[in-house]
Amino acid sequence: MRSHCAARAMAWSSPCRRAPPLIGYTLCPVERALFLSGNEAIARGAQRAGVRFVCGYPGTPSTEIVETAASLEGVHAEWCVNEKVALETAVGASLAGVRSLVAMKHVGLNVAADPFMTLSLTGVNAGVVLVSADDPGMHSSQNEQDNRAFAKFAKIPMLEPADSQEAYDFVAEAFALSEEFDTPVMLRTTTRLSHGRGRALPRVPVPAPELPYERDIAKYVMVPQNARRRNRLVLERLQKLRRRAEESPLNVLEAGTVDFGIIASGVAYQYAREAFPKAWYLKLGLSHPLPYEKVARLYQSVARVAVVEELDPFIEEQVRALGLPVMGKEVIPADGELDPETVFRALEPFLARRPPRRRRPVTPSAPRLATPPEVPAGLPVRPPVLCPGCAHRSVYAALQRHSLAPLGDIGCYTLGALPPLRALDSCLCMGASIGMMSGFNQALRRKAAAAVIGDSTFFHSGVTPLIDAVYNQSEGLVLVLDNRTTAMTGHQGHPGTGLRPDRSQGPAVDVQRLCEGIGVRCATVDATDHKALDAAIRAEAETPGLGVVVALAPCVLMVRERAGRVVVDEERCNRCGLCLDVGCPALAPGEVAMTLTDACTGCGLCVEVCRRGALTLEPAESRGA
Amino acid sequence: MNGTTTVSLVGVGGQGILLGAAVLAETAMAAGLDVKASDVKGMAQRGGSVLSTVRFGRHVYSPVARHADVVFATELLEGLRGLDLLVPRGTLVCATTRILPGGVLRGEEAYPDELAAAAAARGARLMLLDAETLAREAGNARAANIVLLGAASLVLPFSPDAWDHGLGAAVPAKILDVNRRAFALGRDAGARQEVDP
Repeated sequence: MRSHCAARAMAWSSPCRRAPPLIGYTLCPVERALFLSGNEAIARGAQRAGVRFVCGYPGTPSTEIVETAASLEGVHAEWCVNEKVALETAVGASLAGVRSLVAMKHVGLNVAADPFMTLSLTGVNAGVVLVSADDPGMHSSQNEQDNRAFAKFAKIPMLEPADSQEAYDFVAEAFALSEEFDTPVMLRTTTRLSHGRGRALPRVPVPAPELPYERDIAKYVMVPQNARRRNRLVLERLQKLRRRAEESPLNVLEAGTVDFGIIASGVAYQYAREAFPKAWYLKLGLSHPLPYEKVARLYQSVARVAVVEELDPFIEEQVRALGLPVMGKEVIPADGELDPETVFRALEPFLARRPPRRRRPVTPSAPRLATPPEVPAGLPVRPPVLCPGCAHRSVYAALQRHSLAPLGDIGCYTLGALPPLRALDSCLCMGASIGMMSGFNQALRRKAAAAVIGDSTFFHSGVTPLIDAVYNQSEGLVLVLDNRTTAMTGHQGHPGTGLRPDRSQGPAVDVQRLCEGIGVRCATVDATDHKALDAAIRAEAETPGLGVVVALAPCVLMVRERAGRVVVDEERCNRCGLCLDVGCPALAPGEVAMTLTDACTGCGLCVEVCRRGALTLEPAESRGA
Repeated sequence: MNGTTTVSLVGVGGQGILLGAAVLAETAMAAGLDVKASDVKGMAQRGGSVLSTVRFGRHVYSPVARHADVVFATELLEGLRGLDLLVPRGTLVCATTRILPGGVLRGEEAYPDELAAAAAARGARLMLLDAETLAREAGNARAANIVLLGAASLVLPFSPDAWDHGLGAAVPAKILDVNRRAFALGRDAGARQEVDP
């Protein structure tokens, strides 16, 4: 076995003019080579790369990564309740400024696909590396899906180590890429890599950069108007990553002595190398996005090219799309594992055939993008807003009195991230808030973030991360904004209300009792009682440990009776605009004083912020009388 | 495009854009035409800009189109934004209602005032109505959407019977009378504008 060797590649043809050097290739002077499994090497590589947070859910062949990490100094390792929560927790730790690695088996990424796909858009703060351990041959799995497709699907870079040394080395490369390109990185292994063992020389540690948390709503809150811009950046990033793959010494062109070239990555490279020692190789370490020019250069040197890969024709299809003749899955099995003999028998007859006619590759140009890079200047925009009288506004007013990073979720309350409130720092996917809060606070070892989640979203996927936070003894304040409905989509029922699609009543699950059942401190308050709400949030914010506050108030659109109406004292109002910061669409500046439209429900939040006593709440009873 | 007429309905979430689109679609179906409609809902419902598209003709393929023959706006700023959706010499039917977006409320942006000039510059035909007052006259200010539809009916190829059928099919029974009156008032107001622009 051999590790990738830049010098050898240079001897044949310089693969890159300004190749970034591999990170820290100075050998550690005291230690000798270790004999490590791929998984052990990944964990030690993470420690070397300054990773302080490692988590995952056990799954063969990925399990030993977290187990090994737990034994390493300076690394906090957690088992999470599932892979989705694991990824969200790692993202929270990354936001807090800590390099984070999350490990799972291939099918685990199906569970984590929701945060995974949108994490590509938000990018990271400190680096995030996701290890996907695939299981060709299904030694211990229910399917043998090829997770390389997930890297392409999410448009993120993928590294594929081919031995224990590379498994160790590539982790630092992956974190550097993650931070440089503001993207999660997939490190993909297979059973033979994860569980195979080999020599690995330790290298000098790479210090992780200091990346303290900075709130950036446009980057981390994926409401449509932000997500469109981020999506454009993702597509541009993919082009830049392809240029990096062209230059990267992780993608090595190796000269051979026969008229035959092989493109391969991961452990399949080792099988091919053993079967055809005289062939030319394009060994892909950074295998997505595919470096088209390096592929073309291999075709300049040899007439016959084969792709040797396990499972799907992932590389092969991309090479064919360049218009290049290639040998692949018609002879290399598309299921199960490969080995040197299988590769040899599959490709040996191919060498006796007449080589195909040479063709020039047709590389696709960068795609056209529809979304302009900046919001075009012009007419005032009209983003959606929280309704007049919406109780979410009161929760944000109370939460903003504390210096907790408010990590959010998906629902009407996500609108709290928009001006003028700017009260929410993140929105990744359904149910992400609690796991992210947990990781954020674990990384900083204090209660630094709060989670804001609606009742329907809590039932969707907020319960599992809460169980996870109990199990991992995370600090945190979870606000369940219980408006007794799934409001954003048009008032559908959910397990907390028991309402079914035909409006019939089924049994309802009680959030408070559920929380108590899993061992979480929980208080339920009337969210229209601003003093009680404030006190409940303050109590939890100042108490160590994990606590839930259920802010209960039915969606204002479902409430027929109004609490009253706010009236303006035109003598006292000086139109200072303080009340406008509440962000209520019922309030508008008039000619002489603020005015309130009929939409006012009398929630009274604006009355509390007015310093001149110009606003008063007229309760509903006194108006009729 | 290809003998298909496109009507875009724009406004602010909560103004009854979706109901207006439903009435128009039912009317076109009552007239024996093929119809496709497309609404953007979900997050946009909460006081944001809303867009619905109704397309009708002998056979309609695409449910959306980049440009519309008629734009129907329940709010002035959204009408101005809607000019971008209009084909050259298309018709904009717009309410004089103003709903100030957050940026304008906070004094960060100015509410624009140049609808008539902008429409003229594009060669668009403009029907501007105080739809809210007319709707109040009909019995409910919330029927402003249907007032506008009454005015728009002057430039759309449907018989009064078809419109009545459309209203009956899309509008809930208990507010149907108010909406019928609103439609008639809108049609009259539109007709007066046509002779005296």
